[in-house]
Amino acid sequence: MISTIRFERRINVDPRRAALLRVAGVVGALLLAGLLLALTGRNPFSLLWKSIDGTFLERQGLEETGLLLTPILMNALAVHVAMRMKAWNIGSEGQFFMGAWAATGIGIHWAGPRALELVVMAVVAAAAGALWIAVPALARAYWNVNEIITTLLLNFVAVQIVAWFSFEIWRDEEASIIQSTPVVKALLPLFPGSNTLYIGVVVPFIVAAAFFVVFRSSRWGYEVDMIGGNPRAAEFAGIRVKRRMVVVLMISGALAGLAGMLHLAGPAKRLTSSISTSYGLSGFIVAALAGNSVVGVVVGAVFIATMLHAGITLQSDGLSVYIVAGVYGLVLLGIAIGEVAARFRMVRAASVDTAGRAAVAS
Amino acid sequence: MSLVFDIIEQALPASAAVGLAASGELVTERVGVLNLGQEGLMSIGAVSAFMVGTNTANPFLALAVGALVTAALGLVFAASVVVLRANQVLAGLAVALGGVGLANQLGNGRQGDLLRSRFRPVEIPGLVEIPGIGPALFNQDPVVYATFTVVPVVLWFVLFRTRHGMNIRAVGENPAAADAVGVRVTALRLGYTTLGAALSGAGGAHLVMGYTQNWSIGMVSGAGWVALAVVIFAAWRPYVVVLGALLFGTMRSLGFVAQARNWGISSFALSMLPYVVTLVLILIPAGLARLSSRVRATSAPGALGVPYFREER
Repeated sequence: MISTIRFERRINVDPRRAALLRVAGVVGALLLAGLLLALTGRNPFSLLWKSIDGTFLERQGLEETGLLLTPILMNALAVHVAMRMKAWNIGSEGQFFMGAWAATGIGIHWAGPRALELVVMAVVAAAAGALWIAVPALARAYWNVNEIITTLLLNFVAVQIVAWFSFEIWRDEEASIIQSTPVVKALLPLFPGSNTLYIGVVVPFIVAAAFFVVFRSSRWGYEVDMIGGNPRAAEFAGIRVKRRMVVVLMISGALAGLAGMLHLAGPAKRLTSSISTSYGLSGFIVAALAGNSVVGVVVGAVFIATMLHAGITLQSDGLSVYIVAGVYGLVLLGIAIGEVAARFRMVRAASVDTAGRAAVAS
Repeated sequence: MSLVFDIIEQALPASAAVGLAASGELVTERVGVLNLGQEGLMSIGAVSAFMVGTNTANPFLALAVGALVTAALGLVFAASVVVLRANQVLAGLAVALGGVGLANQLGNGRQGDLLRSRFRPVEIPGLVEIPGIGPALFNQDPVVYATFTVVPVVLWFVLFRTRHGMNIRAVGENPAAADAVGVRVTALRLGYTTLGAALSGAGGAHLVMGYTQNWSIGMVSGAGWVALAVVIFAAWRPYVVVLGALLFGTMRSLGFVAQARNWGISSFALSMLPYVVTLVLILIPAGLARLSSRVRATSAPGALGVPYFREER
């Protein structure tokens, strides 16, 4: 009997199956990365063990992973909220930079009451992030200009602004590091019982909890998801789609900006042009991994922070940080292919001849 | 006047890479495939040309290798989105991220290596004698000439003056209709997405061997994203694409001229200028459409970014 394989689109995509295939895509990508490592003469299993050992089995490793988790989860939530509307904020890196920049401006010039300083820093940083995405958001909503390209282009501008201020305008003349501003005076308190991790780590979890509630049981959240599902239907239902798009994108920018402040007033302490080591990109990967699930974002962020921390511990093994971006690329491709697999099923279609005979027999 | 000529002379080599990549993206998008991976493709083209260029004296060989290696990556992308029908945005970003990361990993540790081959200016006899503009325009390297003459002319001719070109545009506009009259949608999409990637790789190669003349980590620095923006600005027309790239290159060379002439503007402000101008460029067509109803809002290929399933025709 001759049979060919055909793809048939599923009418209903089972979310559990979709999630499973997404994870399978990621695992496949990681296996491929391991294989490539093995081909370059490194032992992926010993690397894996070293990374687990350095991240989970040591208190220091756990705290350092928490430090990475703060900006990554925050950025991931920023990208996630935009993605619920099918808008891609790839510029969260730039908004992060502008948030850190604005917080530094307050931090080194503040003359008001001490107690208010951190609050003002946070508010101004969020505003800076929101303003940084305002032009792409308006252009996307009202002029239908591709927000992927506009938000990304602004990343390059943000990096230059931060470099400009840390090298020239706010440069610390006394510091041994010549490419940096002075240390900000107001720093976040440390996480209770820790000497590395800052209290800022709880903020993204609060935001995640808020999103969970908003998207599960509020009208606003339902409307955002509706726009993501079918903007025209949402328009007919009386939702002001364009305005909502701008608001959601600006919330996204504000979260990324706040992430910049949490990082600055925490582990970074001063503004440099290397204050973000691709936190925005990591956040983006997490959001892409998680799909439409807030819980997925949290789990994904923990996963990526662990991977990144492992990447840092592995640098001593002759691997550079750049390989992390390479692996991200593979992971994204894995997700993209996993997604397709969830939407289709393979059917073994009998050839016309046998099908015809089968029809006669029945 | 000499200032203007100076800027033009430097702007041309500064824009060739973006011009090639944008031309590559143009053919890709004309068959209906959105390849957001330009930044990664250019990075791979740059690093592979660099690795060959440090070992050979022939810059064209290095350029060819850069284009071929990038075409291989482009084929992987094309297979995922055309054959497997993966989400083009996700797969494109995967190429962007993965390509930059892989390129940096490959080149890491070789940053100081000297190129043995680079593109050198070739004077065009006669024309170069024109005072002022002559040396600015007609003393460039061969890839620059090709980017602004051969590439757009060939693209325009093939796309708009041949039957094959009409098939290409039909596949991008309405693949079901094209399929119905016997155009091979999958083959054209695969082929031109791969060809587009090869052009981007050649762009990355020229960046190393014709413009910066050395390789450093993250050296593509947004040129791939600019190329994507330029295609939109140009409304998918071959000639306007290279002119858009030239505008980016002009802004870039303006920064260097300003620094060399000591205009007293911060170099940081100057280096953000090209990106700001590109952002404005991409807003112009949409803005114009708003102001005047006679301008069409978008001339994007109708099926851009949409996978094609024959079964659901």
